[in-house]
Amino acid sequence: MLTDREVLSTIEMLRSEHLDVRTVTLGISLLNCASHDIDRFCASVREKIRALGRDLVNTCDEIGDKYGIPVVNKRIAVSPIAVAGAPFDASGMVKIARTLDDAARELRVDFIGGFSALVEKGFTPGDRALIEAIPSALSQTERICSSINVASTAAGINMDAVALMGRTVKEAARMSAHADGLACAKLVVFANIPQDVPFMAGAYLGVGEPDAVINVGVSGPGVVKKAIDRARQADATLDLGRLSEIIKRTAFKVTRVGELIGSEVAASLHVPFGVVDLSLAPTPNVGDSVGEIFQSLGLKSIGVPGSTAVLAMINDAVKKGGAFASSHVGGLSGAFIPVSEDLNISEAARLGYLSIEKLEAMTCVCSVGLDMVALPGDIPAETVAAIIADEMAIGVINRKTTAARLIPVPGKGAGDKAYFGGLLGEATIIPMRASDVSGEFIRLGGRIPAPAQSLIN
Amino acid sequence: MDKVVISILGTDRPGIVAAVSDVLMTRQCNVEDVSQTILQREFVGILIASVPENAQPESLREKLARALDPLGLSVLLKPLAADKAPSPPVESEPFVIVTTGPDRLGLVAGITGVMARFSVNITQLKAAFRGGDDPRRNTMIYEVDVPLSIDRGTFMSELRRKADELGLELTAQHRDIFETIHRI
Repeated sequence: MLTDREVLSTIEMLRSEHLDVRTVTLGISLLNCASHDIDRFCASVREKIRALGRDLVNTCDEIGDKYGIPVVNKRIAVSPIAVAGAPFDASGMVKIARTLDDAARELRVDFIGGFSALVEKGFTPGDRALIEAIPSALSQTERICSSINVASTAAGINMDAVALMGRTVKEAARMSAHADGLACAKLVVFANIPQDVPFMAGAYLGVGEPDAVINVGVSGPGVVKKAIDRARQADATLDLGRLSEIIKRTAFKVTRVGELIGSEVAASLHVPFGVVDLSLAPTPNVGDSVGEIFQSLGLKSIGVPGSTAVLAMINDAVKKGGAFASSHVGGLSGAFIPVSEDLNISEAARLGYLSIEKLEAMTCVCSVGLDMVALPGDIPAETVAAIIADEMAIGVINRKTTAARLIPVPGKGAGDKAYFGGLLGEATIIPMRASDVSGEFIRLGGRIPAPAQSLIN
Repeated sequence: MDKVVISILGTDRPGIVAAVSDVLMTRQCNVEDVSQTILQREFVGILIASVPENAQPESLREKLARALDPLGLSVLLKPLAADKAPSPPVESEPFVIVTTGPDRLGLVAGITGVMARFSVNITQLKAAFRGGDDPRRNTMIYEVDVPLSIDRGTFMSELRRKADELGLELTAQHRDIFETIHRI
C-alpha cells in the first residue's frame, strides 16, 4: 500500500516542480557505414539512423505517458563524424551534416549530436575537414550539434586546435549573424569529453560504446529548490550539512525516474541501456532554474561571493544521491550553469552579479564550464581562443571535464540581449575587452604538455 | 475445516480486536487473516476464522454480538464459501489514480462508475473529504488494477472526461513510478 505522502509528493514534483526526463538520447554508431564514396556513406547513414531511430519518439511518449512523467526531448548521438567520415573533405562534411539534419527531422528528434572530432594530441585530415566545415554546417542546418575535444589530462592541451577553434567560433557567428550567432550555440569545445553525454551540444557516441545505446538525462533543479525551501520553512535551524543531505535525497528521487524510464525505453527498443546522467540541467521556464537554488541557500544571487562554495556543495550532493539511485552513471553528472538557458542565471548576468571571471571560477567545481556565454561581437578570435584555453587548463589540471560554449554576437555589445529561442533561451552579453590582449600568446601555438597528474601508472 | 468471515463496525476504542478474538478463542475458532481500517473515528475490521466441525454460525454470531454490543459495535458473520474452482486471475497492470478538487455530490460515484464500466478493480482506496476549496485537502487516491484486455487509452480519456465534468484534476500513473522514487 502506498502512503499518502509517497503519492502526493510525487504528483507535486510533476505538477509544479518541473520533474521530467529532460532527454532520452539514442546513440547510434556510424562506424560500419564507412565508405570512400560520399553518396554511399550518406545513404548508409540515413538508412541506419532511420532503422534504429524509427520508434524512438513514439516509445518515449508512450512510456512517459504510462508513468505520467514527460520525456521532454528525444535526441540522437552518433559516432564522431571526423572518424566515421574520415576520407571526406570539408564540402563532403557539409553534405554529411545535411544528411544528419534531414534524418533528425524525419524522426522528429530535436537535436542530433556527433558532428565531432577529438584532436587533443593532433589532427587527422578528417579532423581538419570537419572543423573547416563547422561554420557552414551549423549555419545551414537546424538540428545538428558539434563538439570538439581539444585537451585531455593524458595528452595536454592542443593549442593549435584551441587557436583554430577561436577562429571557427568567430566564423560560425559571422555566418549566423542574422540569428545572433545561433550556430555557436550548437558548438562546444571540450577538455576530457565523456563519450556518453545525453545532453546537447556535447553529445556524441564514443568509440568503445555499443552499436546502439540509450542514455538518459533527468533534471529537476525545480524539485531540488522546492525541497530546500520546504525544509528551511519547516526548520529554520537547518545547517549546510543537513541541507546537503536534502539535496542528496532529492537527487536520488529524480535520478530514479530516469533509471526507470530509460531502462524501459531501452528494453522496448531492444537496445542496451547505457547511463543516467545526473546533471541538474535548467530550462528557461520559471521554477526550473539552478540559479534559484543559490538563492534558496541564502545567496542574494548566483555570482556573488559564496557561489563557488555553494556550487561545490550542490554538485557533490547531486552526485552522491544520483549515484546510489542508478545502476550506471555517466555523462557529465553535475550541475549546469548555462547563462542563457536559465532565466535566473541570465538575469544575474544582466544585473552584473555574474562576471566571466566568477563563471570561470565556478567551472572549477561544476560539471560543464562556460556554457551559453554571449560575448561582444567584435571580440578578437584570439581572445575567444584564450578564454577556451583557460577553461581547458582547469579541466586538464583537475582531471575533470570542462567545456566552452561561447557565442560572439555579431553587431552587438556588452549589455545588449541576444535571442536564441526555445530551449536555448536568451542572454545578455557579458563585457569583455575588445582589444587584442592575448593574441601573441595564442599565436605561439603547439601543445601544452600533459600535466604530472597524468603519470598515474 | 469450515471458515467464516466476520466484520465489525463501530466507534474506535482500545479493546475491540481483543474482545473479538477472545470470543473466538473460547469457541475453538482460529483467526487466519485480519485487516482493519480507522476512518475519522470509526473502526471497521474484517476477520477470517476457521471454525470447528459442527459449529453453528448463528450461535457464534450471537456470542460475538453479546460481547460487542456493550462496546457499541455491530457485527456481521457469514460462512465463507469454499472455492470450487478459483477463477483464473485477470492479467492487469497496477495504476494509481489521484483526483483533487473541491468537494461536491457524486465525486466518488462518478469516477468509480467509469472504472466499473471498464472492469477496472479498486485494490486500495483512500479518500479524505475535509470540505472547503483548498484542492490539497480534497484528494482521493485510487490504487487500481487495469486489465490488459481493455483499451487503456480509451479508459484514460473517459476518466479524464468525467474528471473534467466533475471539476477535478486527475492524474493516472503506473504504480511502479511511486515505488521507484520513494523506495530502495
